Amino acid sequence: MPASGADALKPSAFLPVCTATCLLVGATSLFFVFTCPWLAATICPAVPPCCAILFLFVLANFTMATFMDAGVLPVASEDEDKDDGFRAPLYKNVDIKGVQVRMKWCASCHFYRPPRCSHCSVCDHCVEDFDHHCPWVNNCIGRRNYRYFFLFLLSLTFHMVAVFTFGLIYVLHHMNDLWKLHFTVTVVVISISGLFLLPVLGLTGFHLYLVSRGRTTNEQVTGKFQGGVNPFTQGCCNNMEYLVCSPISPKYMARPCKKSIVHVQPPFLRPELDQQMPMKVGDNGLHTLALENKLLKASEQQANIKGPDLCSGFRESPVRGIHQGSVSVQPPLQPNTVYSSLPLNSRSLALKHSCRYGSKSQLPAMQSDGWRSSPPRGIVTSSTLLANQSSNDGPPFNNFINPTEPQLMSQRGAPSVNFHSHFMMLGSDGSVQCPPPHSYSPVFMGVTRQSPHLRDSLRDLVSQDTTLPKSAAARYDNFSKTIMASINERRELEERERMLHLQARSQAHYCADVGIYDIPSKRSLAPDNAGPPGSRGPTPPAYGSREFLMSTGILTYGMRTSPLSNSSTLSLTHGSKTSSSQLQNCSSSSLQNKGRSSSPAYCPSERQTQAVPSSTSTLPRLTSTNSSAPPYTSYATAKRSSLPFPSEGKESVTLGALK
Amino acid sequence: MCMDLWFCPGPAGRCLLLGEGGASHQFSVVPPPPPPPHLQELRRSASLANKVFIQRDYSEGTACRFQTKFPSELESRIERTLFEDTVKTLNTFYTEAEKIGGQSYLEGCLACATAYLIFLCMETRYEKVLKKIAKYIQEQNEKIYAPRGLLITDPIERGMRVIEVSIYEDRGSSGSSSGSSSVSVSTAR
Repeated sequence: MPASGADALKPSAFLPVCTATCLLVGATSLFFVFTCPWLAATICPAVPPCCAILFLFVLANFTMATFMDAGVLPVASEDEDKDDGFRAPLYKNVDIKGVQVRMKWCASCHFYRPPRCSHCSVCDHCVEDFDHHCPWVNNCIGRRNYRYFFLFLLSLTFHMVAVFTFGLIYVLHHMNDLWKLHFTVTVVVISISGLFLLPVLGLTGFHLYLVSRGRTTNEQVTGKFQGGVNPFTQGCCNNMEYLVCSPISPKYMARPCKKSIVHVQPPFLRPELDQQMPMKVGDNGLHTLALENKLLKASEQQANIKGPDLCSGFRESPVRGIHQGSVSVQPPLQPNTVYSSLPLNSRSLALKHSCRYGSKSQLPAMQSDGWRSSPPRGIVTSSTLLANQSSNDGPPFNNFINPTEPQLMSQRGAPSVNFHSHFMMLGSDGSVQCPPPHSYSPVFMGVTRQSPHLRDSLRDLVSQDTTLPKSAAARYDNFSKTIMASINERRELEERERMLHLQARSQAHYCADVGIYDIPSKRSLAPDNAGPPGSRGPTPPAYGSREFLMSTGILTYGMRTSPLSNSSTLSLTHGSKTSSSQLQNCSSSSLQNKGRSSSPAYCPSERQTQAVPSSTSTLPRLTSTNSSAPPYTSYATAKRSSLPFPSEGKESVTLGALK
Repeated sequence: MCMDLWFCPGPAGRCLLLGEGGASHQFSVVPPPPPPPHLQELRRSASLANKVFIQRDYSEGTACRFQTKFPSELESRIERTLFEDTVKTLNTFYTEAEKIGGQSYLEGCLACATAYLIFLCMETRYEKVLKKIAKYIQEQNEKIYAPRGLLITDPIERGMRVIEVSIYEDRGSSGSSSGSSSVSVSTAR
């Protein structure tokens, strides 16, 4: 019996299981009492013991199937959920052995269901490798207890065959004693066993077929792999072997707690610090990376806004780039940065102040829709300061030089993940060229909502030593949250940049090449970017997926009208936890929509939000749009639409339904 | 969930701290003794700043594997190789736990033969490996991650869906002159 779930604990839920138990135990007991003595005497004395052992096996498997945890996945913590945000898509694609499989967001359990996992509405939890909810045992059948369920079916079949056969033999031999008690009882027993033999046999055969094909009942009924390749099968023999011999996976719920004590004491080690002193102030007032990283992380992490995550991306790069030169890089710091008790000289303090202003402007910049030149200004400023400050060490700055960057900026209207534009572009002669800023949010919003795997693809791009910082891809979707508030901040940003500009000039004595420093303003933008925002639309970044391209093209236009009204990107969001069952049409408030439910109105290519009345109707709709959905190839086929397949709420297939 | 980690430099130079209230990481809270006044400025605290979730790698099927891709949030906190080693070792453990071989056959047969009563007294192989994994994670936390302000949560607590890496941040000196009153534990759940 499941531990939780309102439906499973209802009195009516216990009726089938009680009936099954009574029938099984009762009929078998009658068989042993009334029929077996004659069988032992007449046919073979080994018959009753064998039948008893078989019956014991049936009972054991029945008990395990009834009481064993099927592989219930615990509900995700809030922290994990926060990672996906309000506008994370309803589905995530994952590639399993070359086959695209969809992972759906579970609104009740707050995570993307692993492959083969499904939510049982009767028990109200997600079950790993969900097969079905069996009313005869009043339990979900899943990864941990499918074996017992299968063996129960198999052994029950044999047991019923045996009871029926031996009972029939008895009846045929006692046709003269029609009205004797033994005879009557045996007739009753064989009629019960005969009545249920055919359905049980059918079910056993069905599950044998499923095991040979490597499918679950859920997958079979929903027709998931009818037309396509099943990535989960390992061949008939291996499937059987897996069924019978695989180790029992552990229980996830109600695990025993273990107390452990771990010492976490600052100051923390940093990757570059393993060989260095934690704090070193150079003669020229430059700080070592240790401090920078610490401050970097402190500033990065203390604020709860997602902007810092973006900052961290670019901040990491200069650190990475220049660590060999031990050049101090002062990252832009949050206003509430807390420094350790390390002594700071006045110059570094001044630098920090300047960078603080820079960071203040930088954060809202990150959060704005980024089409304007404002976002990276502060960043570039601070990076510029740093670059200028440490320009004494010329060579390390070669790391900043990215000759492709200016080209990138000029070719693409919206280089979405190009954080290196934040850095100063130093020409080979040391002259500082300020790169134009780039947009983040519109493209990222689209990527967030439409193509979750793009995030991964972006990450992959990053990991392939492109100029894309990883945190950008990781955090782009957070901008969409802040973009609503950042429109006004853009104005503040410009003011701050002016202040910063003044600051920069006042800090000129730290910089060797202050003359070449300049705040990137609109005039310093690449010509392409200086145009109207729409000019970015036609030149989407060349990131793998077609969806990304489409989203970029559409969203940039959409964003032009209103950054907050982005209907196309809302079609897949899974909104807040208290979700309604309908995806709302776009509006400025609908960025925090509550469409996270079992309503997969996903239209990857249409970008039109539709109010989904009920989850039951979404499958046909989904199927109709599947043809235009490239990632979903074999997973959901036309056959699916032919089945009146209900939502997860009804996917608990009962034995009765299968009979 | 925000947790204050309070500690002070004691005689041994270390103090106990508290962690999250998760199932397996039930850290004990030990209020530090009030430091002498001249040491109070050295009191440090760390607080939970962020969490990174390492997702499962389903490219090989539903077998338990975690992605070894290095998350960007940890870029400045820990060396890539260390982290990848940890994840790869965990993957090895899980592969070993899920291996279908002689021991799993034996276990299955024994279970059948005893009508599954053996489960009442014997631990399954997977559970044994899980204990090994818990010990390994504890050891990694103590040796590698805690000194870097990180903590790894056993994935079993998250249903084997993610490896949760908690990132703690140095809050700096508290500067508080009050002693034990500054010890606080706040749990969101």
